[in-house]
Amino acid sequence: MASNTAIKVSNLTHTVTSNTGDLTILKGINMQIQESESVAIVGSSGSGKSTLLGLLAGLDVNTSGDIQLYDQIFSKQTEEERALARGQYVGFVFQSFHLLPSLQAIENVMLPAELKGDKDARKKAEVLLEKVGLSHRLTHYPNQLSGGEQQRVAIARAFASNPKILFADEPTGNLDEENGNLVIKLLFDLNQSQGTTLVMVTHDNDLAKMCDRQLVMSAGQLTEKAL
Amino acid sequence: MSFTFRLMLRDLRSGDLLTLLLALVISVGTVTSIGLFIDRLQLSFEQESANLLAADRLVRSDDAIPMNWKEEATAQSLQYAERTSFTTMMFANNALQLSQLSAVSDAYPLKGAYLVDDELFGTGYGLAETPKPGKVWVSSRLASLLNIKLGDQVEVGDATLVVSKYLVRDPGSSTSAFAISPRAVMNMADLAATNVIIPGSRVRYSLLLAGERSNLDDYEQWIVPQLKEGERWRTPTQQGDRIGDTIGRAESFLLLAGTLAVIMSGVAMALASSRFVKRHLMQVAILKTLGATPKLLGRVFFQQLFALFVVGAGIGLGVGWAIQELIASLLSGLMSTALPEPSVGRLWLGAATGLISMLVFCFPLMAHLIKISPLSVLQPNAKIELNTFVIYLIGFVGMYGLMCIYTKGFLLPSIMTAAIAGIALLVAAIGWVAFKLGRSLTSGATSGWQIGLASLYRRLVPNLFQLLVFTLIIMLTLILVGVKSSLIADWQQQLPEDAPNHYLFNVQANQIGPINEKTEQLGVAKSDWYPMVRGRVTIANDVTIESMYPDGRGEPELYDRELNLTWSDTLGKGNELVEGDFTAEGLSVEQRAAKEAGLKMGDILTINIGGNLVTLPITSIRTVDWGSMQPNFYLILPKSALEDYPANFVSSVFVSPEEAQPFYQVMAEFPTVSILNVGDVLKQVQTIIGQLSKAIQLVLFCILSAGALVLLASVRSTLEERLEEGALLRVLGARAALVRQALLVEFGALGFFAGLIAAIGAETCLYGLQVFVFNAEASFHPLLWLLGPLIGVLVIATIGIFASRTVLKVPPMLLLRDL
Ligand SMILES: Nc1ncnc2c1ncn2[C@@H]1O[C@H](COP(=O)(O)OP(=O)(O)O)[C@@H](O)[C@H]1O
Ligand SMILES: [Mg+2]
Repeated sequence: MASNTAIKVSNLTHTVTSNTGDLTILKGINMQIQESESVAIVGSSGSGKSTLLGLLAGLDVNTSGDIQLYDQIFSKQTEEERALARGQYVGFVFQSFHLLPSLQAIENVMLPAELKGDKDARKKAEVLLEKVGLSHRLTHYPNQLSGGEQQRVAIARAFASNPKILFADEPTGNLDEENGNLVIKLLFDLNQSQGTTLVMVTHDNDLAKMCDRQLVMSAGQLTEKAL
Repeated sequence: MSFTFRLMLRDLRSGDLLTLLLALVISVGTVTSIGLFIDRLQLSFEQESANLLAADRLVRSDDAIPMNWKEEATAQSLQYAERTSFTTMMFANNALQLSQLSAVSDAYPLKGAYLVDDELFGTGYGLAETPKPGKVWVSSRLASLLNIKLGDQVEVGDATLVVSKYLVRDPGSSTSAFAISPRAVMNMADLAATNVIIPGSRVRYSLLLAGERSNLDDYEQWIVPQLKEGERWRTPTQQGDRIGDTIGRAESFLLLAGTLAVIMSGVAMALASSRFVKRHLMQVAILKTLGATPKLLGRVFFQQLFALFVVGAGIGLGVGWAIQELIASLLSGLMSTALPEPSVGRLWLGAATGLISMLVFCFPLMAHLIKISPLSVLQPNAKIELNTFVIYLIGFVGMYGLMCIYTKGFLLPSIMTAAIAGIALLVAAIGWVAFKLGRSLTSGATSGWQIGLASLYRRLVPNLFQLLVFTLIIMLTLILVGVKSSLIADWQQQLPEDAPNHYLFNVQANQIGPINEKTEQLGVAKSDWYPMVRGRVTIANDVTIESMYPDGRGEPELYDRELNLTWSDTLGKGNELVEGDFTAEGLSVEQRAAKEAGLKMGDILTINIGGNLVTLPITSIRTVDWGSMQPNFYLILPKSALEDYPANFVSSVFVSPEEAQPFYQVMAEFPTVSILNVGDVLKQVQTIIGQLSKAIQLVLFCILSAGALVLLASVRSTLEERLEEGALLRVLGARAALVRQALLVEFGALGFFAGLIAAIGAETCLYGLQVFVFNAEASFHPLLWLLGPLIGVLVIATIGIFASRTVLKVPPMLLLRDL
């Protein structure tokens, strides 16, 4: 393949300590994801999908093995460096939207740019919100928006930092079919138009089939699903 | 505008920062207002006491004041004045009268004012000057004895002076300085011309000083070591014990109130901080996924807290200042003089309280906040728990430190901290058992009772914490109410409104009838007559006093001077028997005097009465309530020992202001009778007590308001969950009445137990406070046990329902959306 490697995972193992003893959630995972690929991670609830996604995005540090995002190796970085890397490379969309309740829609979208000290934050946010069809909802607070609208704001926010990789954890899990479809369409459109790599956890088979590849998580191990 | 402040402004809209700001304002405001107010009261007490001394400090000597004392005063930038007092004969219209005369320099009085009148026996007006040279001011009593009026001449030694005012009260008069004999005051410039002071005259010289505290202290350091026999250094607080004692206790109370305010504001800060942090945990996690670095977040929150402190402390200081001004103006009607301005320098106390409570309550939580793992965003249902033990510990230690700074001591903070720790344990134990029981007794959700009790149990830990907060606030309230009422009751009992304010001395047996008749006509209340014979203790247990104290120094009061002796077969008003038999044929000695002289039951004293020696054993010891203003005696003898001596009689009377003039006129018909007016001192004490009682009530009100605000904040801090539950119940079809009943049960139960535990805690604390801090006798406070649970149920249920009224009104749909 001619394209660059966006994510490279080798021998990833992750163990957490809980009050019932140590629990190994991920057991020796190896994989690669190329730039601008779209990948679906499927698997039963509790199998470790979210954990993997969090580690890939540098939200936590794995116990052993390596994760490499372009030239970033999270396990060798401080939290400070990881945070900077997240701001630079990664966008995130969550099942429960996670908009900041005290901020208006536009302010939520402005955040990533503001964190980087971008002066044009507002203008860029307006453009993004228009793209997701919410230009008439700029100054609404999250609790004044429907679930579908909230998720569209979250998507606009995720793309605000021009991420190279977008992680989505069950982005349609809390939405009805119509809104879910709208959100999916948006995600793929942006993935295509900006060349963003898309890594998505989902339970939705139709959605998974739309992706270039499907990976199956089972008992802490990841396997490629034959097409 | 920086990112920090944009975030902050946005946060302000959500109200979370406002809650924190409000807590800070309450904290700084309460401590500031009480601190400033206490400061003003203290300054005012000092001034009033200074008025009684006519100066800030005073040196007394039996010899003329040396020049270098005055030079040193000038060198220390102190003002000074002189007063020379002596007893001398005054002549007018061929009449002569032994009088107490004082000659004062022009600067006298440095503090306070003379009370004079232009009418005989007038009640007087203030005059802050001295008689001009050539003039003399005489008391109405002296004027009537000498039969003179304004403009007449009197002779003092070789000088002739013109009467220009009637003297009502000397600014420097205190209990001991009240002279029985008639009084007059003249200018120091005329003193030499009188030639009445000759070597060997008994004269009392005083140097009065006024000025800055530090200069006065320096002067004290300089002069005290060189004072000789007969020379004394005096400060206003040594003036009358009673005033000092009253003020001392009031100060302890205010200090206690301030300390409790510190605790309350600590609780408020802790509550607001933990609410702020809880509501921001997810936000911080989200910001982290968006690429916010810990450094950036640390800076953002630090800057936010700093800005919050600047604004909050600023508003708090302003509010505190305004509140104490308000208290002062409410009090102004009662104050005889305007309260002195508060010192701006005291403001640091409020600011420091704000800063320290932010440091101990906010910063550790914030440090936790920015350490949260961004991973939390992926576990949407996970409750993020804080490691609270360390945080509580820091808060606890911080609060203790704050109290120590505030009270400049360890006693009060230690008592309060121990009480809080004890209460925490008790709350944990009682709350746990009670809620468990409540749960086991109820199951199902058919009544508000069941839902309420079940809800208490379900959120056991947060509820226990809330119970602790409720208990603390109610306990602090009860303590203050308890201390306040016993303090005020104590004062009022000490000084009834109609306490006698005049003594009649030197009354002959044949004058008793006529005086009784006149006072009855005037309707003046009068105590019994006590016979009085003067005598001096000369021998104690076969050892002469002279040989015990050869240089005549350091003698106990009982031996020091000629005493007034009386006889009586019944124990007088205000006397209480401690030991022995009062009716036995022996001496009855006042307890304190006996202790000072080292005397006990059975010791034998010899008393010289007009040249005859009477020897008797001590057969009883009694305490005397000196505040009762009844004639009181150190030594009471059996009737048989005294009845053969010529006796004078003494009595005390209460003369109201309207009765004063006619009473003095009537008494002028008995020129040999001496009248001692203690009304001014009494009035002073009564005024101070009145002011203090009012002040204490206002401070109490302030603290209670702050307490109510903290309670409200505490209820609000758990409101989200309760609202959610209430909304869910209503979605499931519960009527608003049922939800309200459930909330009532929940808050009512919390309030009841909080009140009950608070009563236990308050009673224990009051014991400690009474015994260790107020040096009073411990007493039981049944009212608290009623008040505690009652306040708890009423106030907390009211606040609870008030705070959660939205859950009952708003459509449940809206509520669920908001959460
Ligand atoms: N920090 C943690 N401590 C304890 N257990 C955890 C932790 N994080 C995840 N788990 C557990 O690991 C398993 C996998 O979780 P997750 O990755 O969220 O699964 P999925 O997203 O596939 O449903 C679950 O059983 C979860 O409870
Ligand atoms: Mg998951």
